[in-house]
Formats: sequence, structure tokens, C-alpha cells
Amino acid sequence: MTEQQSPAPIVEISGLTKRFPGVLALDRISVDFRPCEVHAVIGENGAGKSTLMNILAGDLQPDGGEIRIDGEEATIASPLASRAAGITVVYQELALCPTLTIADNIMMSDMAARSAVSLVPREEMRREARAALTRLGMGKLDPDTKVSRLSVAEMQLVEIAGAIRQRARLLVLDEPNSALSKRESERLFDIVRQLRSEGVTVIYVSHHLKEVLDLADRITVMRDGRTIETLDNDGLSEDRLIRAMVGRELDTATQWSLQPEARSDAAPIVLSVEKLTAPGLDELSFSARAGEILGIGGLPDSGKDTLGEALFGLCGRSGRITIDGKELRAADPHASIRNGMALVPADRRGAGALLSMSVANNVVSASLPRFSLAGFMRRGAVGREARAQVARLDARISHLGQKLATLSGGNQQKIILGRSLVTNPRVLVLHEPTRGVDVGAKAEIYAILRGIAGEGVAVVMISSEIPELIMNAERVLVLRNGRISGELTGAGINEEAILARAMAS
Amino acid sequence: MADAVRTGARAPAADRLTLARLLRAREAGVFIALLVLCLFLSFATDGFLTSLNLLNVGRQISLLGIMAVGMTFVLIAGEVDLSVGSTYAFSGLATGMLIIAGWALLPAIGVGLLTGVAIGLVNGVLSTYGRLPSLIATLGMLSIVRGAALILTNGQPVTVNARNGALPEVLQTFGFMGQGYLFSIIPMQLVFFVIIAALAWVVLSFSNFGFRVYAVGGSAKAARVSGISVNSVKICAFVLMGVLAAFAGILSLAFLPSGQAGRTGLGLELDVIAATIVGGASLSGGEGTILGTILGVLIIGVMRNGLVLMGVSPFVQELMIGLVIIIAVGIDKWSTRRPS
Repeated sequence: MTEQQSPAPIVEISGLTKRFPGVLALDRISVDFRPCEVHAVIGENGAGKSTLMNILAGDLQPDGGEIRIDGEEATIASPLASRAAGITVVYQELALCPTLTIADNIMMSDMAARSAVSLVPREEMRREARAALTRLGMGKLDPDTKVSRLSVAEMQLVEIAGAIRQRARLLVLDEPNSALSKRESERLFDIVRQLRSEGVTVIYVSHHLKEVLDLADRITVMRDGRTIETLDNDGLSEDRLIRAMVGRELDTATQWSLQPEARSDAAPIVLSVEKLTAPGLDELSFSARAGEILGIGGLPDSGKDTLGEALFGLCGRSGRITIDGKELRAADPHASIRNGMALVPADRRGAGALLSMSVANNVVSASLPRFSLAGFMRRGAVGREARAQVARLDARISHLGQKLATLSGGNQQKIILGRSLVTNPRVLVLHEPTRGVDVGAKAEIYAILRGIAGEGVAVVMISSEIPELIMNAERVLVLRNGRISGELTGAGINEEAILARAMAS
Repeated sequence: MADAVRTGARAPAADRLTLARLLRAREAGVFIALLVLCLFLSFATDGFLTSLNLLNVGRQISLLGIMAVGMTFVLIAGEVDLSVGSTYAFSGLATGMLIIAGWALLPAIGVGLLTGVAIGLVNGVLSTYGRLPSLIATLGMLSIVRGAALILTNGQPVTVNARNGALPEVLQTFGFMGQGYLFSIIPMQLVFFVIIAALAWVVLSFSNFGFRVYAVGGSAKAARVSGISVNSVKICAFVLMGVLAAFAGILSLAFLPSGQAGRTGLGLELDVIAATIVGGASLSGGEGTILGTILGVLIIGVMRNGLVLMGVSPFVQELMIGLVIIIAVGIDKWSTRRPS
């Protein structure tokens, strides 16, 4: 599609800005979406793609800038307003009613538009739903099936079918294929192409560059809350896209892997993993040495997000994991702690911390036997240990009885780190160690991790933030499709190399 | 694409047979349990399988059933109402006092029902626009309404009879509503229950409003983006509940014909919720049917009746009812494997 014949855009965004506390999520972005195009939006984690889609969906309101729909300035005040403007966003987290049938879900908007004191036209709903499904080549689905019985792929298609029925002109697919099998993805692509030919604009948010190149007419690259460029998909290569997504200048002087004290090649292997298979992981083998910070990177669906839980024994697994030569037989978190592994999970609010409990109790919560006597807490010992950890980690708290929920994200994370250290781990596994932590506290946490590694602990840092891996890891393993797609060391650890191994096919 | 089609549960042609459909329905388990219970009782006791006893059971369950119908709407909409026992007392007593004060029947009942509407409205607004969990909002209302009933009656029993000032013709019709028999055999309470349940069944299963109730409880988000006003649907469900609780309270006073704010309908909310849950409604919303609720109410009613006929002590009766609740819901949860 060339510039001369490009029709007037359906949605035109200019100077759009969205601020969250401490973060500028969207920084004066500009992009337009035209009729009959598949428009891919790509970018690293945190580039601002999701924020933009949430604004289009009416879930978030921008702080500045302007959205024009059909040339008219518009505000998308609510999800309902978004639908009314002909925009449908299909998230991974679907807006379907699982207890109702396919037909009910597809026809829900029609039902909402009718009087509440009318009868439900079951036969008509069934017929219309079947027609909508048939249009998507899903005619074999029984419209009377409950949505809760469908696969994720089928649910997505049901949501798309509902959107098309409402004459959606702009369909946003946000990471649609991370839950789909290869065949299901191909089916989805066929549908996307068909929709385009019928005049629907599809915004396709994805990490999978090959698919993006196959499918998209134009590609917008986002980075750090900005739209970097919009490219016509004409002779583009994956390398070209990766180069557009990178571009952040990192101060190489801060790169740990380049510093002499980061050499642990001669140290003994502490953690050894052989053929680890778990949900999303496929026969993974690697090892970590004493004093090493091993970075693990990859896309959200690469398997890296289950690695921490699989290592620690929170989900079923097979394969062989040893710490200092001792094998962890069962997938049992308690045994993992006893054998010297500690996990700092990504989900601080859920799995990570006892938010309603005090700092002191959080610090000792993973090693209660050591701090109890005949079933009672040894308050003195608890206080001493908590004070020691707080001092060591330089956590800013008012007193040891302070509730964790009242601390900042950074200080919470330090306390959770402290809890892991009280168990005297040989292996410290961190998943997204600085998520929701401000810049200053990030640097402090990095320093603490290097200190911990310096004491001979093997630190495994699983992170979606590429700069974090570059700055801290001595060695980086990149995962893709549950397998290791690359191993980087020293000066070889850079953004382009990590992205290429994570995304390219 | 073939496997996309195969992964979900599909209904093959044979499944469409009516019998298979019936057996697959959620209510089937409860129905079979009820059948087994009835069979057992007809062999174990002499008096169970007589039309007189069965009609008696029908009368006994009617008030519980009328309220359980309302609770079905509230639970499907994803909320819960703990204030129904208090509403039952307040509205009944209010109507009783008006009748004693010499009011005509329809205005007295009308005002009683309006108090139910008002209580439901408050419950609904607090649980939606007020952003309180309905468990908390209606727990508060449970106390408030009970307190209001105590204040209204000054804690004294309200007895509807001519000596207290009720007009004779009003008294006659009022008494017929609670104690009378249609065609001198079917208890009027049961007649009311059947009419209300039938209307509710039509509304819930066939009307657009019923569809909205299911949608709102199944996924508030999906309902909202489809343009359904989640709050007004929930408020309507609470108001319906309030009216039905008020009507049950009025019928109860007509039957007895005396009530006391400190005693009437105490703890009734738990019986109502239990019957509805046994009938297959889900506390997490989106699921439940009127048919299921009727079966749930019947199970509890038949169970009580049967235990009395068998001469089981009331203490053991309580215990058995508790077991039935756990087993009935348990069978449903343990037997359905939900796809993860």
C-alpha cells in the first residue's frame, strides 16, 4: 500500500500521552489506522503497546493528545463507548461469559439493545450465531455449547464472531496467538485476512516477527512509550524490525559481565538442571556456578515465566535438578528450601509476600522452625534476624512491626529478598526482581544481588527487562518455545542479540 | 482447524435426544436425589405417600419456596441477600399492624410489599453504586430491618384478629390467603408459590431480563461491554427478592396469624440460601434455575417432613439438613470435571 492511494484513516492518534505514577507509559505517540489494513504493533515489554490498546478499549483515559475517529475528535470514555465506535479489543483475558452458551455470548449486545421485557428469541439467536460462526469457518461449533467448555482458541474466535456481528470496524488482537497451537494460529491468520478483505481494520499486537511480516500491511514499532516508526511491510526483514525495536543506549561501563570480579568460570557448579520439562518448558538443561548471576530472558510465552516455579517445585515437573550434587527429587517447595534453593516470585502481591503481616514476620516466614520453640515464636530471635536483614538490605522501614503493605514496592522487594536470604540459599531464583520498583531502588537491588553472588550464591535472574539482564548477568540464556535458543556471555550480551534469539524464527 | 473444532465439547446428534438432555441437565442430580428420598420415605413410613401429607408438605415449603425464587435471581446475578429473614418479619408485621388499624386488605398488603421494594432497593444500591460487597450490605440491613421491626412493634407480638381492631371482611380474606384451600383441598400458600414460581420461570428462562441476570452474574465485564447496565440488573434482582420476602412474610402472618419482631423469620435467610444452593445455584453467580430451586426447596421440605413422620428428634433433623446441604452441593462439585 503506497502513500498516494491510502484512504482516510479510521482512527488517528496524535500526541497521545499517558502517565502512571513514576512512569510515562505513552509519550506523545502518533499513529493512524486505515481501512482494510492489518496493522501490526510491535515492541519490547514495556514499550507501551498494552497501554495504547487499553486506551482504544476505553479501559484507560489518556492524559493528553487527541484521538480522531473518522476524522472527528473523540474520547473513548468507556468500554461501551469503544464498542459503539466500532472498536473491539480481544484480549488474552477474554470478555466472555463462561456460564452462557456461544450463541448467548455472540448475541449479547443484540440482547442488550432490546427491551428488557421482551422474550429471548432462542431460535433466532442460534441461527444468527451459527451464521457468524460459519463466516469464520467455525460452522461445526454448536451454538448451544457453554463457553466454559471451549478451548482458549475457540473462545477467541467466539469473541471475534461477536465483534463482527456488531460490525466492528477496528478489531484489536492483543497477543492473540500466545495460547494457540500452530494450526489454530494459521486458522486465525486466515480469518484476519478474510476480515481485511471485508473491510475490517485489524490491529495485531504480537511478539512473533515472522507472523507479523507474513500478515501485516504496515508495522508500527514502539519503544519506551514512543512510536518509533511506522513501516510499510515491503521487503522488510526480521533484523530490520529488531533494529528498530532496540536503540536504547546502555552505558557499557555498568555491564557486570565486562567487569573482572564477575568471572566465575572456575567456581564449582551449584545448580545443575538436566532435561527439565514442565508446563511450557521442554527438556531444558543448564547449570549455574557459585557466585554467578545467570540471566534468563525470553518472550512471555517462551516458558521463562514458569521456569522459576518449576525449579522451586511449585508445579509438576520431570527431569533432574541438583544443588551441590544433591538431587531434588519431588516437586516440593519445602524440600527445595531445605536443599538450599530460594525463590523470589514475580507476583509480589499474590505469591510473594504476606502483605498484611509485619516486616519481621515476613523476614522469617520461610524459616519458621528455626525461629520457634515448642510451637511458639522466639520473638527475640525473630527481631534480631529481621533487624540484621533490614540493615543488610538497607530497607527503609519505620519499625519491624510495620505492615508490609504500607512499604513501597522497592522496600517490599528487599524484605522478600531478606526472607529468601534467611534460609541461607545456595541458589537464589528471582523472577522479575524489580517489577513495580522505582529506578533508585532498582539500582540498590542490583547491588544487593551482586553482593549475594559475591558470597558464593548462584543467582538465577529471570526477567523480561532486557536492560536488567544486560546490566547484571554474567551469562544470559534466551528461551524460545520452552527451549534455550541462545547463550550469551561477556560483550555478547546486548539487546539486539537477546531480541534476535527471543523473537526471530 | 480440525483440531480447533475437536478440542471443545461438541454435542453429537444423539445428545440432542430429550432424555439425554434431561439427564445431562444440572437439575438431574437433585431430581434423582429427591426421587430416592421419596421412594425411601414411602416404604419407611405409612403416612408419607398420602395426598393429604403431600399437600401438607406443599404448604410447608411454600413460604421458603417463594423466597428461594427471589434468592435464585440474586445468586445468579452474582450477589447474595442476607436480609430476607428480617424483611419477612418487618413487612408481615407492618401489614398486620395496618390491618389491625382498620385498613382495607389491598392497601395494607400494598404497603407491606412496598416496604419490601424499599429494602431491596437499599440492598441493591448499596451493593452496586455503594460499592459494598452484598454480603456486608445485606448483613447490615439484616440488623437494621430487624431493629426497625422491633421499634415499629415495640417488641410486642402482633396478632391479627377482630378483638384487636381488624375489620371482619378483611380478616376473612386475609385468613383465606394464609389458611384457606383452593377447591377445599390445595393450600392457598401452595397456590401462590406455584403461580410465583411459574412466572419467575418464564421471566428467568425466556425473557430478555432473565438473560441479563445470567449475563451479569456470569461475567460483569462481558455484560458491561455488551451494553447491559450491570447495576440496574442487580438492583432489580434485589428488589424482586425484597418483594417476594415481604409477600412471604405477609402470608406467614395470615397463616399464623400472629408474629413477633424478635422471633419471626429469625435465621430464615440461611434456610433460603441453603435451599437455593441445593437446587444448583452458584454462589459465584451465573448459574441456577427456577426448576433447580424448586427441587432444592422440595428436598429440604420432604426431608423435614419425612424425619418428623419417622419420629426422628428435631435435634437430629437439624443435623441431617446440614448433611444434605453439603452432600447435595458436594455431589455436583465432585462429579463435574471442569476443563482447566
